[in-house]
Amino acid sequence: MTGPGRRGLAPAVALLSASTTANEILLVRLFGVEQFHHFATMAIGVALLGVGASGSFGALFPVRDVEGAERRLRAAAAVTALALVASPWVAHQLKVEPTQLPFDRGQWLRLGVLVAVLAVPFLAGGVATLTAFLLAPERTGRLYGASFGGGALGVALALLMLFVLTPARSLVLPPLLAALAALVLGRSWVAVGAGVAAAVLFLGSSWEARLSPYKSLPQLSALPGAHRVAERFGPLGWVLAVESPSFHLAPGLSLSFRGPLPPQTALLVDGDLAGAATDLTDPAAARVAAALPVSLAHALAPRRRVLLLGVGDGLALGAALDADARWILTLEPNPDLLRLARELAPLRFWQAERVEDRTGNARGVLARERSAFDLVALGPSVGHGASVGGVRALQEDFLHTVDGYELFLRRLEPEGVLSVTTWISTPPRESVRTVLTVAAALRRLGHSPALRLIVVRNWGTVTVLVRSVAFSAGELARLRAWARERSLDVDWPPEEGSADVPFNVLDDASLRNAAAAASRSEQDVARFAEGYPFDVAPVDDARPYPHHFLRLTSLPALVRGAGGSWLPFAEWGPIALLATLVQTVAVAALLLLVPVLLRGRRGEWTAPRWVVLGYFGALGAAYMAAEIAAIQQLGLLAGHPVYAVAAVLVIFLAGSGAGSLWSDRVSPERGVRVCALLALLLVLAAFTLLPVVHLLVPAAPPVRTLAVLGCLAPLAFLMGMPFPLGLRRLVRDSGPLAWAWASNGFASVVAVPLSALLSLELGSQVLFLAAGAAYALAAVAAGVGGEGRRARAA
Amino acid sequence: MRSLFAVFVLGSLALAGAPDGGRVADPRASERLEMVQRHLVSEGIRDPPTLEAMRSVPRHEFVPPSLASAAYQNRPLPIGLGQTISQPYIVAYQTEVIRPRPGMKVLEVGTGSGYQAAVLSAAGARVYTMEIFAELATSARARLERLGYRATVRHGDGNLGWPEEAHFDAIVVTAASSHIPPALVEQLRPGGRMVIPVGSMYGAQNLLQVEKDADGVVRTRILLPVAFVPMLSGLR
Repeated sequence: MTGPGRRGLAPAVALLSASTTANEILLVRLFGVEQFHHFATMAIGVALLGVGASGSFGALFPVRDVEGAERRLRAAAAVTALALVASPWVAHQLKVEPTQLPFDRGQWLRLGVLVAVLAVPFLAGGVATLTAFLLAPERTGRLYGASFGGGALGVALALLMLFVLTPARSLVLPPLLAALAALVLGRSWVAVGAGVAAAVLFLGSSWEARLSPYKSLPQLSALPGAHRVAERFGPLGWVLAVESPSFHLAPGLSLSFRGPLPPQTALLVDGDLAGAATDLTDPAAARVAAALPVSLAHALAPRRRVLLLGVGDGLALGAALDADARWILTLEPNPDLLRLARELAPLRFWQAERVEDRTGNARGVLARERSAFDLVALGPSVGHGASVGGVRALQEDFLHTVDGYELFLRRLEPEGVLSVTTWISTPPRESVRTVLTVAAALRRLGHSPALRLIVVRNWGTVTVLVRSVAFSAGELARLRAWARERSLDVDWPPEEGSADVPFNVLDDASLRNAAAAASRSEQDVARFAEGYPFDVAPVDDARPYPHHFLRLTSLPALVRGAGGSWLPFAEWGPIALLATLVQTVAVAALLLLVPVLLRGRRGEWTAPRWVVLGYFGALGAAYMAAEIAAIQQLGLLAGHPVYAVAAVLVIFLAGSGAGSLWSDRVSPERGVRVCALLALLLVLAAFTLLPVVHLLVPAAPPVRTLAVLGCLAPLAFLMGMPFPLGLRRLVRDSGPLAWAWASNGFASVVAVPLSALLSLELGSQVLFLAAGAAYALAAVAAGVGGEGRRARAA
Repeated sequence: MRSLFAVFVLGSLALAGAPDGGRVADPRASERLEMVQRHLVSEGIRDPPTLEAMRSVPRHEFVPPSLASAAYQNRPLPIGLGQTISQPYIVAYQTEVIRPRPGMKVLEVGTGSGYQAAVLSAAGARVYTMEIFAELATSARARLERLGYRATVRHGDGNLGWPEEAHFDAIVVTAASSHIPPALVEQLRPGGRMVIPVGSMYGAQNLLQVEKDADGVVRTRILLPVAFVPMLSGLR
């Protein structure tokens, strides 16, 4: 190749990769805002589908000569830039509402068109990269490295953008990056056009996120007098404060409470209700707080040092202030949420001097904080529907694991209490798991849960109190009297000889049975959990999904039962994931493999087709599986899934970019060894990374950063090498290259939901092992392919 | 009325026989009778006054004309302002829970298009119904008057109840809340019963029965998981 294109090849590939990766990250955020977070998988799937489909395009329309390839490269870069402006606009016109899919067939068509439209920029970007490989076959490592490096840059820029703009407006970034690529390749008019169009569309006043009507924001906004009073942006979420005289939030408020509620302002993150700024200077606040389950622990004994996890409804703080606590520490991961809660409902100075607010992940802060507390309180999720409907099922949560509860119990004074309040679902799930999990944590500390566990229930919530010293008969009597005054029922321990009619009838004895099993033995807990229709067994940090209860094996029975009509109440998250997997396999097979099968047989094949398919497919699956497993395990260390995703993506993409660059200096024959080494390292990671993470949690941020880099960077470096090495070893021209690209894309697309499901069901350690197995398969394929090539050469 | 779209009963509901419905002269009567038999009786609604009321109230008058053809399907429908009319099953279920009888004083929170108020009125109750959206309150009042249902409609915040008319024999709430509004508990007469969805403003809630005994002690029972589903198609 000659001319300016060759000089600018690597920078153009890097910029295109940066633009499409930034687009992927921002789409994940936008889907989280407009729909729910489990649609994030769909955004990643769309991106990989587009990239994979570019292989099919390459097979269907092979380039004939160098000039043709140059023209295609320039055109693909220009289309990428323009599509990054057009596709979000078209997507918004489609008005897809996934929640209506079961009722409205037209929504399926819209969803299909949406996926296709959003995939276009990724397809065009993929075609550009693939064409670049054809133009410089001797520099595949350099180009693949540029692609990885650009991806890392895209992740970093997208996250920076989220600090200054909403996710919807941040979409201005990807087309600008792609326009720069077009400029590098000599398409200046297209670059200018795409840049101007992006600025006009995404920064214009009419462009904003279109939220599902199921989200809290549209519902709150419809209330008379509702208006936005504050707005903040950040990678952790789009935070909004909405005021309405009709808004009140008091989960678990006692039936016996009479009187007004204090003024409250709704706090929303990504359009979902996340808490409230409650005016604690209003006299009503103290009265309401005293009628909430969080006051149970204060009723037992004065709690001087209190730890509150999360902003919540703000009333737990009121309860602690009213109970005369001397030091109240509030830990909240989202700084904007905490700041707004205080700005919109300032405390009086005599209240403020007893309150300390800290931003951060509770597990990390407590691992470093050596203070002991009289009370650690975890309130119910603010959005009851999200909890009951299983929307949170896919969210990693390290607070409600056995390891989390164990840490909280360790940070308590001898008579200090851990208080966990959850919503009651039908049938009971979250509350049952909480009981079993606190019991498991107590046992780890060498205490029997009998006499150390109290379960109190009202019309909608369950509060579990637990501590390492047995509750005395006097304390229990005091608690029962307090509960009776507030129409609460003490489910555990049962009161001998009591003939009281419960205040809140629950036609299901599961909660009491769970407490009984928890109080007896681990074997009883295991037996109880095994026989329960939902998965309520305690979870640990290796599988931190405490809000996931659906057994996938029981799905067929659920679908058959009552015509499957109550399935949505079982759990939305995993069902959406499973549906995504099924659709992905079908669509990816159709779009990626069929065209390649039809047209991609041409060309010079230096290795059997199944070897090429197996090798590049295994690489795609292994990469995604390892990445997702690392994201899950580093969530605890990073403090928030968003930070974990950003850190892992940057390390993996930058490390793999360097590995790809280096691969140009390595003989292609070494590919087998690299894959075998990766298989071994991933097996090692399965058994060692989580213990290392646990060791690092208390460490200072620089130490943690260095340690994470030390663990992941070598892995990422090696993971960047097999693809370019494989291209040089197994692929000679455009036919097999299209096969390789498509099979890699297909496996990557399918691996995303599959890995998420594996992690959900079996944990991240198993996912690391699966990634290792896939690299082992790639090593075998590369070995066989090499033997075949040598035999043909002989 | 906010929509309680889907009710998913986790136990089996016994089939129940139903008394014959009275003859209704309007052209949609046969559809309505079929709806009652197919979606209410066969799903376990048994209370005769409730079934009779459901057979008599023309639901097609309470939905937008463009959606009248779907009025007797067991699904919620949009009524404007992002609000919906509940599916017939949940209207019947909530009505049955409070056991409406002639002369009973009932407060409804969340008038919507007025359908639930009409059903309660048809069952003989004296109905007081509150709606937070002024536009809906006005149109529901006119509709109920035109169709001859006796219900007093008020524009106001249901969280506060209707203290001037308290106490009520029963309260039917069709909008979800994070808590049971204290004012409503206060305004329930001893021996009275309330039915209310409690939980998130979106997604899933629990439908609760709240009873106040003769001594004023309040007790609850979880009846069903239910879900709000604001409809998007049709009017949008």
